[in-house]
Amino acid sequence: MSEAEIARAEAATDRVAASAPRRAVSLAARAGVVLAKRAALLCALLAVVFAAIELLPGDAASAAADRGESAADTAARRHLLGLDRPLWERFGDWMTALPTGDLGTSAGGERVTDLLSAPLPNTLLLGGAAFALTLVSALALGCWAAARPGGPVDRVIGFASTVTLALPEFVVSVGLLLLLSLWTGWLPAATMTTADGSPASWTMLIMPVLALAVPQIGWNARIVRGALADQAAAPHVIAAHLDGLAPRRVLLRHALPGAWPAVATGAATSTGMLLGGAVVVETLFNYPGLGTVLAGSVADRDTPVIAGVVACTGAVISLVLLGADLVRARTLGARP
Amino acid sequence: MNWTRRQALWAGGGVGAAALLAACGGGKDDTASSSADSAGGTPRKGGTLRIGALGRGSATTRDPHGVQGNESDYLIIALVYDTLTAPGLKDNTVGRLASGWKSSDDLKTWRFTIAKGATFHDGSPVTADDVVWSLRRLRNTPAGAGRLPGIKAENITADGKDTVVLVSDDANADLPLLTRLSTFVLKKDTSDKEIAKAPGTGPFKLDWFRGGNARLLRNDKWHGGPVHLDAIEVTMFESPQAMANALLGGQIDVASNVGAVAARTAASRKDIQVTRRPNDMAMPIVMRTAEGPFADPKVREAMKLVVDREAMVKQVLSGYGTVANDILGTGDPAYAKDVPQRRRDLDKVKKLLEEADFDFSKTYELVTTEDIAGLAESATLFATQAREAGIKIKVVKQESGAFYEKTWLKGDFYTNYWGTNDSVVFFASKTMVTGAGQNEAGWSEKQFDDTYRKVIGTADKKARATSLRELQQIEHEKSGYLLWGMADGIDLAAAKVRNLPKLPGYGRVQLENVWLSR
Repeated sequence: MSEAEIARAEAATDRVAASAPRRAVSLAARAGVVLAKRAALLCALLAVVFAAIELLPGDAASAAADRGESAADTAARRHLLGLDRPLWERFGDWMTALPTGDLGTSAGGERVTDLLSAPLPNTLLLGGAAFALTLVSALALGCWAAARPGGPVDRVIGFASTVTLALPEFVVSVGLLLLLSLWTGWLPAATMTTADGSPASWTMLIMPVLALAVPQIGWNARIVRGALADQAAAPHVIAAHLDGLAPRRVLLRHALPGAWPAVATGAATSTGMLLGGAVVVETLFNYPGLGTVLAGSVADRDTPVIAGVVACTGAVISLVLLGADLVRARTLGARP
Repeated sequence: MNWTRRQALWAGGGVGAAALLAACGGGKDDTASSSADSAGGTPRKGGTLRIGALGRGSATTRDPHGVQGNESDYLIIALVYDTLTAPGLKDNTVGRLASGWKSSDDLKTWRFTIAKGATFHDGSPVTADDVVWSLRRLRNTPAGAGRLPGIKAENITADGKDTVVLVSDDANADLPLLTRLSTFVLKKDTSDKEIAKAPGTGPFKLDWFRGGNARLLRNDKWHGGPVHLDAIEVTMFESPQAMANALLGGQIDVASNVGAVAARTAASRKDIQVTRRPNDMAMPIVMRTAEGPFADPKVREAMKLVVDREAMVKQVLSGYGTVANDILGTGDPAYAKDVPQRRRDLDKVKKLLEEADFDFSKTYELVTTEDIAGLAESATLFATQAREAGIKIKVVKQESGAFYEKTWLKGDFYTNYWGTNDSVVFFASKTMVTGAGQNEAGWSEKQFDDTYRKVIGTADKKARATSLRELQQIEHEKSGYLLWGMADGIDLAAAKVRNLPKLPGYGRVQLENVWLSR
């Protein structure tokens, strides 16, 4: 190395050292901007939800009315629920109350926070467990398949994952119910709850988690397998192979890190699918979560409840997407 | 599955007395259904009954006078709180918190006596003031005018400590019937914030409630007599299928109002009791009488003659039901069983339609919903049957919200359903008298109106019965209702459950006499 080269290298190091605090600030600013963007997106989503419910025929006042009720009584109920006010005003009120944790009142007169306080943790538990199972299984299967490309294991996993990703949750649910509960009696068919509103036994979680995770495992296993195939063609992985490193080491230490962004993005999109699938799965297993609350509130045009559920799930999905972005930024940032 | 407006008809009607009609049930499961209480023995004290009931997490409510969209909520409320009267088996109205009632000669003023020894769960006695406050609170809700029809809030008053006086705007011989389903009594001046924990007077006390599920404990001091069960655990189910699965797997002891599909599934299981409660649900086809293609009575009669009622019951209700005769209120003890049963008669249909100059080239739209099991199927099967007489009917399915906004009370031709079927007068007053709020067919028939006024204004039992019979004859002949059959209410229960209620509709919540054998 010539002196000039050394001088240049030192200058570069100085520059890097000097910019470190500035970079931290800019990183924080970037994170802030991203967060603000996500929050704005959530607000827009909620506005769309309010508008969409307005467009559906019928409203909460008529859905909550008794058969014996006259039009005047229903109008009184409409006034009581504030539905006679313009849409933007109701939306504005709901949004300004949101930061204080007030999600409004349901058509049945219950506070929405009370309606969601038990189901939200239950759904997070269900979705979280399904998410963890999806991630671990998809990584394991994807790596196993990628270990010997084109081998029998690869082909079986490829075929099975294609089949499972095409299976709707309710088909998996019904299959599981028949197999594990009604025929064999191994697992409880329905979820019963205790006084605190949570499932009475962990065994009640097994089938709902499986029903949610199986299609997502199929989807994510293919993503992992595909990302690893891309990485296998990358120069540094080929170089690692040529250096004679053990295949397992090459896979886990050289190929997998590069595959992270694709894997993280795939898993993040699965969050939405998991929460969406919960509507069906929770109903079939009588799991006391947000999905069942959402289904009922849409039928009743109960806008505050729907918006409450959307706000909660939207926030969760936003956070997971943010996490995926961070993983991408980290991985890609480290290797420009 | 559906609820609220779609669900219940508190509105004065009620549930009840189906015993007289049970005889014409004629289903294959009669033996199974009676085993619930016949295989009795002496009631045994103790045990916890685990019961499942339909409900949705978004619609839960704790207010006894609120919007009760969930069967599970209503079950819990009806066990914790008492109504003034209740549906009964022999009489369609029996005492509950009221031990007796008496009317003035003009049938306008009714005096209810509160049962002796009735106390709230906190030990304080029930006074007339508590009842008046509760009934006024109910009356002042948006649904109040429908739940206590014809009774203004200021006309509910106390007379001494144990008498409540209700004054109706019009003579009403059926007033006690109106107090059966929603007149839950709370302590005077209970604030809205305390409603969820407010003590009741019912056979069970609330232990806990969470997310639609609850545990109730026996009230040892219930004024209505000894209660057998130690506790009841209520689990809310969103789908009847999940509820049936829980019962088959032994997670619950009773699946309340679970429906015909589940009954069919469970029919092969010897260890499961199937309880059939006749006259639970009416699914009439409504034909607009005011104008349109069905304004001609001959066309309406033809439609009533084209339907194959036995086939409808067999296919739409899987046989879990009975044939009906175009008179609503089949569970009424005064139901006119002697009006000749209308049967399919395609020759007469042809003749009537020709006389009426019916347009056979047109296709008529029959609007239906999937609000309850079997409703859309009934429309489809009817359309198929009508085609055999050359009548072209196209079934149009609407989503519930769209149906109530666009079709109900307005359409020419639609299906609907009613869940309270033990009062002929209730249907006459709500759906058939000229100008009634829910006059679904837009019917106006002077002869019917006059007879109706005679019925509700007559105190003499014999004269009233004659008029009531006449009223049903007119309804059978001319109204816009084609009532082909009545669906049974169906509960499934484990073998150990004894003495389940056999009443249709909301009579199924009376669990105080249930006990568990070993």
